[in-house]
Amino acid sequence: MYNGLSFEQAPPISAVMRFFLTVPIFGIMLTLLVGFHPDEILIASHPLSLASIHVMFLGVITMAMFGALFQMQSVLGGCSIPNAAGNAFLIHLFLSIGTLSLGSAFLFVSPPLFVVAAVFLGSSILYTAKLILPLLFRGSSHDTLRGMKIALICLAIVVLLGIVMASEYANETFGSLHEAIRTIHYSFGLIGWIAVLIIAVAFQVVEMFYVTAPYSSWCKRYGLLIIAVSLGLKAFWTLLSLPFVWMFDALIGALLIGFIATTMKRLLNRKRRVSDVSIWFWFFGIGLLFVSLSAYTIYSLSGIELFQPMALVAFALFALSIILGMIGKIVPFLIWFHLNAAGYMDTPIMSNIITHTRAKLLFVLFVSTALFTLVGSLYHPFLSIGAIMGSAMFALLLYNIFTALALYAHTVRFGVRFDCDTEIR
Amino acid sequence: MILLDTRELDHPIPMEMAVNAFKKLSGDEVIQMIHRREPIPLFEIILKNGGRFRSIQLEENLWHIYITRSKTVDLEAIDV
Repeated sequence: MYNGLSFEQAPPISAVMRFFLTVPIFGIMLTLLVGFHPDEILIASHPLSLASIHVMFLGVITMAMFGALFQMQSVLGGCSIPNAAGNAFLIHLFLSIGTLSLGSAFLFVSPPLFVVAAVFLGSSILYTAKLILPLLFRGSSHDTLRGMKIALICLAIVVLLGIVMASEYANETFGSLHEAIRTIHYSFGLIGWIAVLIIAVAFQVVEMFYVTAPYSSWCKRYGLLIIAVSLGLKAFWTLLSLPFVWMFDALIGALLIGFIATTMKRLLNRKRRVSDVSIWFWFFGIGLLFVSLSAYTIYSLSGIELFQPMALVAFALFALSIILGMIGKIVPFLIWFHLNAAGYMDTPIMSNIITHTRAKLLFVLFVSTALFTLVGSLYHPFLSIGAIMGSAMFALLLYNIFTALALYAHTVRFGVRFDCDTEIR
Repeated sequence: MILLDTRELDHPIPMEMAVNAFKKLSGDEVIQMIHRREPIPLFEIILKNGGRFRSIQLEENLWHIYITRSKTVDLEAIDV
């Protein structure tokens, strides 16, 4: 122990990688749904649309974020997650079963499957919150950790409301508050869970990975707090059907625009102009967030229905862009770190674990997927092309993660261990 | 003293440089790493491979980290 921190805190590689490895599998399922049903997928409240949305936000985005949470909490929080391997196994299993059940429940309009989904997703997500939140409150104070607390609390609210709605779908009766609960459910999910977590992670990684100026103290201290309070007030206004609920959306939108501007400025003024694919994902992702906010603003002001799905699609792509960029950085790091910590002399260098060529190809496929899907949200035939591109992209992601793990397994089996005493005289 | 000034290098280059230098250390050699943050994962690699380190924060974004594999070098005695 040094400085009060434990250095035996990194979770086992399996705890994090099982989440990342599952991301492309759900991604491929999603592209199949989109590819085979391009006309139904963007109709609000259509079973196919709801199935796709939940596969995207649970199977792809939340799956990746849980993997990142397991890693970041241990390193930043200064205290490791107890029995990380066992807990990750259970949480991952329940999240996977829950996501599959919920997607199937919507697809096949099956009331029993809504119950199964509520049990598994509720268990997985609430158990994650119960496991990690106390560590976050107990551990060191850090802007990113504060953001992670807010995000996890919002996610717990999302799943509780989700359970209420799942019971409504299971009983095929909808209460008078159904629409209000639905609005709060997706607002807390999209903004409170996804946007807050990405912003909190940005506070840490943008500066660290790209040697930029740090975010302002005000932004780090109050930005996410204001978003959380706005979401809480929006929920209250929505439940009581009070007027001017849009003012909370406007406030959150203004803060997100501030995040876009301040992140862009930092990335553009970074000290080292090294070509790194992950930074392209950040630029593109931030651009997609701007598209999402613009589309939502147009929809809110004009009422043109076409822009609502576009806003949602752009938001999902924004989150996916950041996730792909981060997976491209974290996976090689984890392989390299665990091999070095185990003392392997012939640990490959990080840039050889996922090669630059494959990382670039992933970016090109992602950009193609995003552009075709966004245009497809306005003109549906393009959605099928977006789905084909998306399948190729997720297949490549699966290949990248799988080959990285194969390299890890090969080094563990055949690698030469570092002898601690050889050189010491 | 082997000097590694990694303040201007983006992650993960500082970690790779430090671990590579650590693997080549011999005798009473010490690495002095100057970095803009405390590289906590690096410490786990050093400790698990029989090394020792001393980490000192001099300013908000300035850390000096001393690393050795020697069992006799007194890292606390190094004048920072």
